[in-house]
Amino acid sequence: MNTSEQRGLVMAEHKISTKLLRHRLNQGLRFLFIALTIAFILVPILLLFKISVSAPQDILTQHPPFLIKNFTWNHWKKVLAAGHIWVPLWKSTVVATFVAVLGVLIAAPAAYVISRLPRNIKYGVLLAIFSTRMFPEVGIALPISVTFVRWGLVDTNLGLVLAHLIKVLPLMAWIMTGTFDSIPKDLEQAALVDGCDKGQALLKVVLPLSMAGMAAGSILCWLESWNEFTYAVYLCLAESTLPIKTYYYVRRGNWFESAAYAVFLTIPVMIVTFVLQNYLKSDYLSGALKY
Amino acid sequence: MATLRIIFKHHKLEILMVLPLILFVLGFTLVPVLQCIIFSFQDQITGEFPTLGNYREIVGSRKFGEALKNTLLVTLIGLGLEMSVGMMVALLLTTKHKFRGIFRAITMIPMGVPTVVSGVIMLYIFSTNGYLNEFLYRIGLIQLPIDWANGGFRTLFMVAVADMWKVTPLVIVLLLSGLESIPTTVYEASAIDGASRRQNFFYITLPLIKPFFTIALILRAIDAFRIFELPMVLAGRNTMFLGTYAYSEYFDYNNIHTSGAASTILMVVIAIFVFGYIGMVGSREVEQ
Repeated sequence: MNTSEQRGLVMAEHKISTKLLRHRLNQGLRFLFIALTIAFILVPILLLFKISVSAPQDILTQHPPFLIKNFTWNHWKKVLAAGHIWVPLWKSTVVATFVAVLGVLIAAPAAYVISRLPRNIKYGVLLAIFSTRMFPEVGIALPISVTFVRWGLVDTNLGLVLAHLIKVLPLMAWIMTGTFDSIPKDLEQAALVDGCDKGQALLKVVLPLSMAGMAAGSILCWLESWNEFTYAVYLCLAESTLPIKTYYYVRRGNWFESAAYAVFLTIPVMIVTFVLQNYLKSDYLSGALKY
Repeated sequence: MATLRIIFKHHKLEILMVLPLILFVLGFTLVPVLQCIIFSFQDQITGEFPTLGNYREIVGSRKFGEALKNTLLVTLIGLGLEMSVGMMVALLLTTKHKFRGIFRAITMIPMGVPTVVSGVIMLYIFSTNGYLNEFLYRIGLIQLPIDWANGGFRTLFMVAVADMWKVTPLVIVLLLSGLESIPTTVYEASAIDGASRRQNFFYITLPLIKPFFTIALILRAIDAFRIFELPMVLAGRNTMFLGTYAYSEYFDYNNIHTSGAASTILMVVIAIFVFGYIGMVGSREVEQ
């Protein structure tokens, strides 16, 4: 009796300790996985920065060190002093800004109407517009490039803005429809009852309420255009945007210039993304997914 | 006809508001796509239409066959990596622990890095005197540097990893919004029934986030088939993909017809995948 009781106790203890061990092991594995993921994400970015501020003897060797040994701002200074960066920088900024503004101006009114359509038609229209993003960009860029050569729009800002809108508008319509869906119809109806006409109800009730969504959407457009590569590579021959210029230095095999350009290309994006984090998180995407 | 006129009369403002978007999509997306298809069926010299000559030409060429094979393989490898790792990270992000907030913020960082830049970064890591080789050398796995970009499976692996680095955050966001939509009461109920964690995962979590999984997979597959910037930066002209093949036919050989044919085939590949997948697995989910 006594011994069997003891044995039971020992077994129970043993069970608990294996359970604890397994729990610890699980936790250890989990932290290892998290640490590896974080390293996988962060190390490449740090390496890019490192290359852009390292002296050549640290990089162009058979066995490059992982840490910064000889720090230098020379590559940044050289890129800024050479001055090849200003034209692409200006072009990228102008194009992205026009795309953001035009994107909202074209997509927002349409998205409002789509959001007020009957349910079954609404999703059909949205899906039809959004599915245009399924087409391969090289397939659209080819005829666009051929047509723009004829129209004299190659190498112009207008041509690039039009091309970027192809990519941006469906996304914008999708996001903005979600924004307008969240504004109750009753508010407009109340305005109509109070004696507004349709246009007034839109301008005075709906517009102020949708401002936040429009701002977020237009910033997303700005980023898409700033990063855009495919259309730009088809439509920029002499005057390139910043991504194309970066690609040009990659082609030439110049590590330091391409690293510095890549850093300059990323900095604005990083700033905007961090400011916008709350919008870019799951809310908008999940909103779009609830359909 | 009469009802149409009434609709026009009552909804003038609405029609005016929708028109710019519809016209733009028609004029700058659908017309170019049709043009692209027409190019692909036109004879290169006489402009005769329709002809299958362009397709015969590219299907017969070794370069195109390789481009097609590379595209399919990189999609397969990339999707496998992205969906599995994305799923693991998303699951870790739903369990509560100290570092969740910061971990979540860090996983989102690659989303903010332009694709070209991620390509440049990977170029440094995978070059012969790059950091991956150096790392492998230091832990003693290799003696001589590996040339990752000289074609074959290695290059595909490199492109897939580069793609994975950039887009897994999107997969995580989509799966996470699915995981967060599962009410905790479901797990409370299963705990009462004595379900193990594995059972929880396979019988509750997976079926409930299936629609989100489907959407993430389809979105990712479309982008993976169209992969363009990363191969341009990383693989150069040695390892072709369908996108870069179409580009090279136009820019290197000035041939809009074969380029159009390659784009059309890419379009068909995407369509087959999307509709095939929806038809097989997820018609109900997509409708929901």
